[in-house]
Amino acid sequence: MSWRLRIRHVTGFTYDGMAHTSYNEARMTPQSMPGQVTLHSFVDVFPAATTWRYTDYWGTQVTVFDLQRGHDQLRVTATSLVETGLVTYGELPECDWDALRTKRDEFSELVAPTPLTAVSSDIVGEAAHVVAGKSPAAAAVALADWVREHVAYVPGSTGVRTNAQEAWALRKGVCQDIAHLTVGLLRAVGIPARYISGYLYPLADGVVGEVCEGQSHAWVQWWVGDWVGYDPTNGCPADHRHVQVARGRDYADVTPLKGVYNGALSSHLGVTVEITRLA
Amino acid sequence: MADVFDSYAMAAAWDEMFEAPGRPRTPYRALFAVLQPLSGADLRVRADQLARVFTDRGVTFAYAGEERPFPLDLIPRILDAAEWDQISRGVKQRVLALERFLADIYGPGEVLREGVVPRHLITTSANFHREAWGINPANGVRVHVSGVDLVRDEAGEFRVLEDNLRIPSGVSYVMENRRAMTQTLPGIFAEARVLPVDDYPARLLAALRSAAPEGVADPCVVVLTPGVYNAAYFEHALLARLMGVELVEGRDLVCSGNRVSMRTTQGERPVHVIYRRIDDDFLDPLHFRPDSAIGCPGVVNAARAGHVTLANAIGNGVADDKLLYTYVPDLIRYYLNEDPIFSNVDSYRLDDPDVLAHVLNHLDELVLKPVDGAGGKGIVIGPKATAEELAQLRSTVAADPRQWMAQRPVALSTSPTLIGDQLAPRHIDLRPFAVNDGSDVWVLPGGLTRVALPQGALVVNSSQGGGSKDTWVIAAEEVEVSVPTQALPPAEPPPVSTRDSGPVSAQMAGQQ
Repeated sequence: MSWRLRIRHVTGFTYDGMAHTSYNEARMTPQSMPGQVTLHSFVDVFPAATTWRYTDYWGTQVTVFDLQRGHDQLRVTATSLVETGLVTYGELPECDWDALRTKRDEFSELVAPTPLTAVSSDIVGEAAHVVAGKSPAAAAVALADWVREHVAYVPGSTGVRTNAQEAWALRKGVCQDIAHLTVGLLRAVGIPARYISGYLYPLADGVVGEVCEGQSHAWVQWWVGDWVGYDPTNGCPADHRHVQVARGRDYADVTPLKGVYNGALSSHLGVTVEITRLA
Repeated sequence: MADVFDSYAMAAAWDEMFEAPGRPRTPYRALFAVLQPLSGADLRVRADQLARVFTDRGVTFAYAGEERPFPLDLIPRILDAAEWDQISRGVKQRVLALERFLADIYGPGEVLREGVVPRHLITTSANFHREAWGINPANGVRVHVSGVDLVRDEAGEFRVLEDNLRIPSGVSYVMENRRAMTQTLPGIFAEARVLPVDDYPARLLAALRSAAPEGVADPCVVVLTPGVYNAAYFEHALLARLMGVELVEGRDLVCSGNRVSMRTTQGERPVHVIYRRIDDDFLDPLHFRPDSAIGCPGVVNAARAGHVTLANAIGNGVADDKLLYTYVPDLIRYYLNEDPIFSNVDSYRLDDPDVLAHVLNHLDELVLKPVDGAGGKGIVIGPKATAEELAQLRSTVAADPRQWMAQRPVALSTSPTLIGDQLAPRHIDLRPFAVNDGSDVWVLPGGLTRVALPQGALVVNSSQGGGSKDTWVIAAEEVEVSVPTQALPPAEPPPVSTRDSGPVSAQMAGQQ
């Protein structure tokens, strides 16, 4: 099933007073890749700034800008038109645990823990029975569902710097935490995994032309002969409702807006995402 | 009159000056003839003069938290034309191979796809900066300045101890050593055709200018220093002065729209090439440590956009990682299709469990080095370590073997060194400095010979209590020795103190 979606993503900061200079990078442009094509995309900055783009190590479109004049807020608006669900996953090639072991060097940075995704051997031990006797493909789904079963999705329960281990201790978190935990466990059992950031269309079958309140979302991909996308927060494969923006080892590689500035303390403006199904 | 060399007892290692007691090697014969009639007390007087010249010039370094004159030994280290030819070819070869490697790693990654170097070695290196991926320097050069540390083993063969491709320091000592020696002991230069070292700043400036972004005919070059508290500040200031360019700190630079300018009292002036002596981690708070107050935010993307050139490039540390070092001979064959001119010191890779087990059982016979250490920090010399140190080392290495590599201890060659008023053999190494201008790699004749002053000591770093020696390269017979004419347009005299220190820059804060 292929959909056409328009996305408007607004994020930024407000300052208790003035910020003077500010240097930023936005990773807010959906990727073009098998299964998804970005037809149009524009990143707008307020106060007005010249933007410049590059593609980073992970293949993400990065929008760079700096502000040299005093400002009391910074607002970044990304508007994109994306076609999703262009191909569905076919039969996966056979891939057993031995085959994965031969790929360890090729995927070295996607099987190694990072500060945000590292999980203790205790958690891995608890999850061992989930994996036992399964093929990598089945084990990956089972692990993701096991995380979903044990960690409640509670908006606002964690922050952007919360790591997988901390979220596990709380047994709750947001999509970012559930994705970090899933990625951490997959890597711990030897399945290459990456963290995906993007958007999720909120309805199963939306009305064409109706603006929906969507959300920034995070899910995972794992490699079991080929890359497979899965949304552990919702317990379903990543499909035409998922719009991929960036992929990396964890959130730190794909942060939608990050920067440094000089001036008064800032607070986050909050994020709004509007998604409209156009076809 | 007593012969100053009478009491000189050669050590077991290769002696640089003598092939046998009382029989100097050919390049040292003239020096031997000059020194022989002198007494130890005479030498002591000259050595004290040298130290005073250094203190006067401010050639100091920080040792154990204190500024001291860098000890310069009276007896030079001499290399003949044939030895120098081999060294300079070997260093060039190494720099060229590592340049190709860096371009590959921060680009297509073919060396990894073909399995010449395992990918995990790169992805687990703390100095592999993904932020540098896709930055293509203007003339293709990433290693504008390098220092390849060489040692001479028991058989007199030069071997590479480590590569330094980030911000190698010490070249100021090479120039200052020569200056002090010619001033204090002019007589010993009379018979020798010693190649000059004072064209280094002109060569460096030429290389920096040729690294300028495309389309910039008369580039503005600056030296970026962390500031006066940095151990190598003397060198930063000296190089800036000798090149006739501005010495700046991060707060003197401002990035806007991916272009870099320098604040001056006449307004902002565009900057095109930054010879930076600040570590990657502190260079740009947007990409690296957000708490760095000595860097210049935005400079990495300015380099990516091609509006400024960073010398050396970001991320070079992945190529001087001590584990990658073990693959450099393979890289020379792979990229250049040549046999390596230098051998490495025999090394052990600890990622193989069998090798790791062997090394852990023989720690007392090996040298263990942290893979991303610099300045001799963290090195443990097994044969000289105590049982407690070895036990400590064993658990540290076993816990994280990727952070370590092991080497066979090499009895570094020795050179007669004035200790008190006696000459005694002390271990030395050699750091030749190479400058890559994109069309040629030029190696400064000589380099920095460091000497480990405590008896038997093998670690020569100045930060570990080492000294240095003036290093002479003797010209081949036919070569006309003269100071090369400046290959550069005469640099405009830099406007003095027009630079405004700018507003007091508050530390940048992170936002995400």
